[in-house]
Amino acid sequence: MSALTGNRPRFDRQWLREHSELGVCVVLAALGVLVLTDALSIPTDFAQRGPVGPEAVPVLVGGLLLLVAALLARDVLRGGKGEAEAGEDVDLSEPGDWKTVLLLSGAFLANAALIGLLGFPISGTVLFWGAAYALGSRELVRDPLIAAGMALVTYVVFNNLLGVPLPGGPLMGVL
Amino acid sequence: MESFDLLMSGFGTALTPTHLALAAIGVLLGTFIGVLPGIGPAMAVALLLPVTYGLEPTGAFIMFAGIYYGGMFGGSTTSILLNTPGESAAVVAAIEGNPMARKGRGSQALAAAAIGHFAGGLIGTTLLVLLAPTVAALAVGIGAPDYFAIMVLAFIAVTSVLGTSRVRGFAALLIGLVIGLVGLDEMTGQQRLTFGSLQLADGIDVVIVAVGLFAVGESLWVALHLRRRPAEPIPVGRAWLGRDDLRRSWKPWLRGPLIGFPFGALPAGGAEIPTFLSYAVEKRLAKDKSEFGHGAIEGVAGPEATASASAAGTLVSMLTLGLPTTAVAAVMLAAFQQYGIQPGPLLFQREPTLVWGLIASLFVGTVLLLVLNLPLAPVWAKLLKIPRPYLYAGILFFAAVGAYAVSGQVADLLVLFVIGVIGLAMRRYGLPVLPAVLGVILGPAAEQQMRRALQLSDGSLTGLVNTPFSIVVYAVVAVVLLWPAANALRKRRAARV
Amino acid sequence: MKGTVRVSPLAAALTALAAVLLVPPLLSSGDSDSTGVRGLRVLVPNSPGGGYDITARTAVKSIEDSGLSSGIEVFNLPGAGGTVGLGRLVNERGNDKLIMSMGLGVVGSVYTNKSPSSLADTTPIARLIEEPDIVVVAKDSPYTDLAGLIAAWKATPGAVPVGGGSSPGGPDHLAPMLMAKAVGLAPRDVNYVPFDGGGELLASVLGGKVAFGVSGIGEYRDQIQAGELRVLAVTSGKRIPGVQAPTLQESGVDVDFTNWRGVVAPPGITDTARDRLVTLLTDLHGSGAWQESLRRNGWTDAFQTGPEFGRFLAAENARVADVLRELGLA
Repeated sequence: MSALTGNRPRFDRQWLREHSELGVCVVLAALGVLVLTDALSIPTDFAQRGPVGPEAVPVLVGGLLLLVAALLARDVLRGGKGEAEAGEDVDLSEPGDWKTVLLLSGAFLANAALIGLLGFPISGTVLFWGAAYALGSRELVRDPLIAAGMALVTYVVFNNLLGVPLPGGPLMGVL
Repeated sequence: MESFDLLMSGFGTALTPTHLALAAIGVLLGTFIGVLPGIGPAMAVALLLPVTYGLEPTGAFIMFAGIYYGGMFGGSTTSILLNTPGESAAVVAAIEGNPMARKGRGSQALAAAAIGHFAGGLIGTTLLVLLAPTVAALAVGIGAPDYFAIMVLAFIAVTSVLGTSRVRGFAALLIGLVIGLVGLDEMTGQQRLTFGSLQLADGIDVVIVAVGLFAVGESLWVALHLRRRPAEPIPVGRAWLGRDDLRRSWKPWLRGPLIGFPFGALPAGGAEIPTFLSYAVEKRLAKDKSEFGHGAIEGVAGPEATASASAAGTLVSMLTLGLPTTAVAAVMLAAFQQYGIQPGPLLFQREPTLVWGLIASLFVGTVLLLVLNLPLAPVWAKLLKIPRPYLYAGILFFAAVGAYAVSGQVADLLVLFVIGVIGLAMRRYGLPVLPAVLGVILGPAAEQQMRRALQLSDGSLTGLVNTPFSIVVYAVVAVVLLWPAANALRKRRAARV
Repeated sequence: MKGTVRVSPLAAALTALAAVLLVPPLLSSGDSDSTGVRGLRVLVPNSPGGGYDITARTAVKSIEDSGLSSGIEVFNLPGAGGTVGLGRLVNERGNDKLIMSMGLGVVGSVYTNKSPSSLADTTPIARLIEEPDIVVVAKDSPYTDLAGLIAAWKATPGAVPVGGGSSPGGPDHLAPMLMAKAVGLAPRDVNYVPFDGGGELLASVLGGKVAFGVSGIGEYRDQIQAGELRVLAVTSGKRIPGVQAPTLQESGVDVDFTNWRGVVAPPGITDTARDRLVTLLTDLHGSGAWQESLRRNGWTDAFQTGPEFGRFLAAENARVADVLRELGLA
C-alpha cells in the first residue's frame, strides 16, 4: 500500500512504461464487460429447459474477468511483474523489435489477402519469403526459390494427392 | 482362449505383405501429416478416405489404423521440438518436452514419447482384446453428471499448470474460457459473442486456438526478441535414454494407459482431457517436483502413453457399439458404412476376419511406429538445426496451410492471426499459454454436461450427484483440495508443540 | 549446375514467379483435355466425413464411374450448420459450374444462425435420398409401445427427456417437436436434450439416460438387430424394410417426417444450365453405380427434381419455420 499512499507515484511516461502491464488489466476488464453485455443481451423469449440458461456461464466468466483484472492491477501496483517467456531463440536483454513483428505480420496477412486473388502458390511464396526476410534472411537468390518450391510442393500434395483444393492462381483454366 | 485364436488368425491377415505395407504406409503418412500444425489425425483420416476407395475393406482399415496411431505420434513431435503442437491432444507434450528440447535433450524427449506411444498402444490394444465388451458396457453407463464431475476434477488439475503467478494463470484460463464461449449455445441455439458473424457461429475450433497461441504466437514472440547474436548451438545429443531417464519413465509409461484407455472408450472422453490428467498425476506423484516446468521426462512419458491408449479405447466403443467417441472414430465409422459394414454388437460375429485383422494390425502398427521413430528421433531433433528464419517461416507457412485447407476460408486465417497476437501479448506479460488452451477445451464441455445433467433431472440439482461414479469423483476432488490444507494444519500444529 | 552458374536475384525471383504461375495450371490441365468439358464444382457445407460430404463424394464417384462426366471437384466450406456454404452459393449468382450438397439440416440452420441467405434464394436441382428418423428406447425401457410412451410424455413432459443427435433446428430436434404438436403437447414443454452427433446419443439411449431417443436409423441398425434397442415408431409415412415398427401415422400420431438430402445451384442461372444439371442428376439416378451406392449405404431413394423439388423445399421451409417460431428460435 505504501507505493500508493506514501510515495505518490507520478503518472509520467516513465511510470507508464514500467507499468505497461496495467494495459493487460484494462484489456481483461474490457473483455469482462463485453462478455457480460453480450450475455445479458441474449433474448429470453425462447424455449429453455433446466435452471441454467445460455447466459449463466458467460455471466460467471465475465464477473471473474473483472475480479482477476482488479487482482492483477493490485499485483502490478505492488510491484509484481509478469515474467516474459524465455526461449532458446529469444534474447530478452535487447529491447523489443517491433519492426520485425510488423514485417512478419505483414507477410502472414499478405497471404490471407492474396490467396483468393492470386492463388495459393503465389500467396504461399510471399508468406514464406516474406517471413524469412522479416526474420533476417537476406539470401536473395536462394530464398525466393525455396519459398516457391515449398509453396508448389504443398500445393501439389494437397491439391493433387490429398484432394483438398487450394486456389491455383490466375492462369488456372487459361493454359 | 477363443479370442486368442481369433487374434492369431488376425495376425495371419495383418502380416500378409500387402497389409504389412499398407500399415507401414498408414503409419508414415499419419506421422508426416500429424507433424504439420493444424492437421490432426481426424483430418488426416478424412483426407485420406478417398485414397482407400480402391482398397478392399480390411486393407483400408489397416491403413486407417496406421494413420490414426501415426497421427497421434506425429502431433507430439513438433510440440516437443518447436513448442508448436500439431493438434490439441499434443498440447500437453509441449509443457515438459519443449524445455527438454531446449536443454539439448530433444532426442530423449522424442524417445520417451515414442516408447510412451508404444507402451500406450500395446497396453491399450491388449486391453481392447481382453476387455472390449466389458468396457463398452461400462462406458454406456457413464452419463452427463459423471462427465461434469470429471470436468470439475480437470479444472482442479488446471491449477497445477498455472505457473509461478496464480493471478496471471487464472487470467489466461479466463481468456480461454471466453474463446470457448464464442458460437451458438449448443443447448438452446442462442448466439453468444458471435457479433452476428456466421463464421463465428460454430465457435472457434480448438485446433485453431492451439496453433494460434502456440505456433503463431511463438513466431511473433521470437520475432520481437530475435536472438541476433548466434546462440550456443543446442547439442542434439544421443538418441538413447540414459539409465536415469528409464528409471524415471517406466512407471509413467505404465500408468498413462490406465488413464487413457477408459477415457478413449467414453462417448465424450477424447484424448485431450486424459493426457492432461496424466500430466497432473505425474506431477503430483513425482518425488522431485522442482524439475516440472523445466523439462521433467515423466511429463512427456505419461501423457504420450495416455494419448495412444485413448486411441485404442476409442476403437473399443466404435467396434463393439458402433459409437464414435472422437472425430477420427466418426470418420472411420463413415468409412465402414461406405463398405456396407455396420459396426455394432454383431460386428465381431459378422466380420471376424476384418475385426481381428484390424486389431492385429494395431499391434503391428504400434511396433512399426517404434521401429521407425526411435531411430528417427535424432533426425527429427535436427529440425532444430534449420536456420531460424526458415524454421519460423516454415512454422507460419504450415500453420496457415493447415487452417486454410480445413475450411477454405480466409476468415480462419484472420482468426488464427488474432489469436496469434493474443499469444504474443500473453508471452510478453507472463500469462502462461497452456491454461488458455485448456480453458477452450474444458469450458464448453463442462458447461454442456452440467446443463445436460440438469435437464435430464428436469431441473433438480440432485441431477449433478445422482450416480455413484460422480460421487466417487467428487470425493477425490475433496481429498485433492483438502490434502494441502490438512497438511498445512498438521505442520502448524507440529510447529506449535 | 547451380554451383557454377551465378544466378542474379532478379533471375531467381523471375524463375520463382514463373514456376508458381505456370506449374499449377499445367498440372491440372490433364483433366480437362481428356474430356473437353470443364469440371463442375460441388460445394459441401460441412466437414469431410459429415453427411453432406459423404453424399456428395459418393454421388460424384458414381457420376465418374458411369462416365456421365469427369473432373468434378468436391470442396468443403463448413460452418454454421451449412449456412456459410449457403451464403457463398447465393453470392455466386449465375455460376452454372457450382452446385451444393445440402439437406433438411440447412433449412433449420438458416433460422437458428439468423443467416441472411435462405434456400429460397437458390435454384433447386434435385432431392436424392431420404432417411426416416426412428423413435427408439433401450431394451429394458418401461415403454413397450408408442401409446405408452406418449401417455407418460403428455402427463409429465419434463420427466420424459428426449435425446436427439442434432442441435436446435436440426432434424432430430424438429421430429419430436412435430410429434409433440400432433399429440397436443406444447413444443416449449418438450425436454429436448441435444447430443453431439449420433454417438453420445446412442450411449445415452442404451444407458437409459434419456427416456427415448429420436435419430436417423443409420448408426442404429446393428444395435436394433442385436435386440439392444427397441424401435417404437418410424417417422416416415412408410415402414422401413427390416425394422419391426409401425409408422407414427399408424400409431395415431399424424406426423410424416423424413430427413432428406439433395442438391441446389446458385440463383440466376439460365434455364438451359439448370436443365443440364437436372439431366446430369437424372442420369446419375438411373445409373447402376448410384443404385449400388444406395444399397451399400442403406439410403432410401427419394429422387425428385426441378420445380417439384422447389415446391417441396418451400413446404419444408414453412413447416420448420412454424415450429421454430413457437420455440422462439425463428
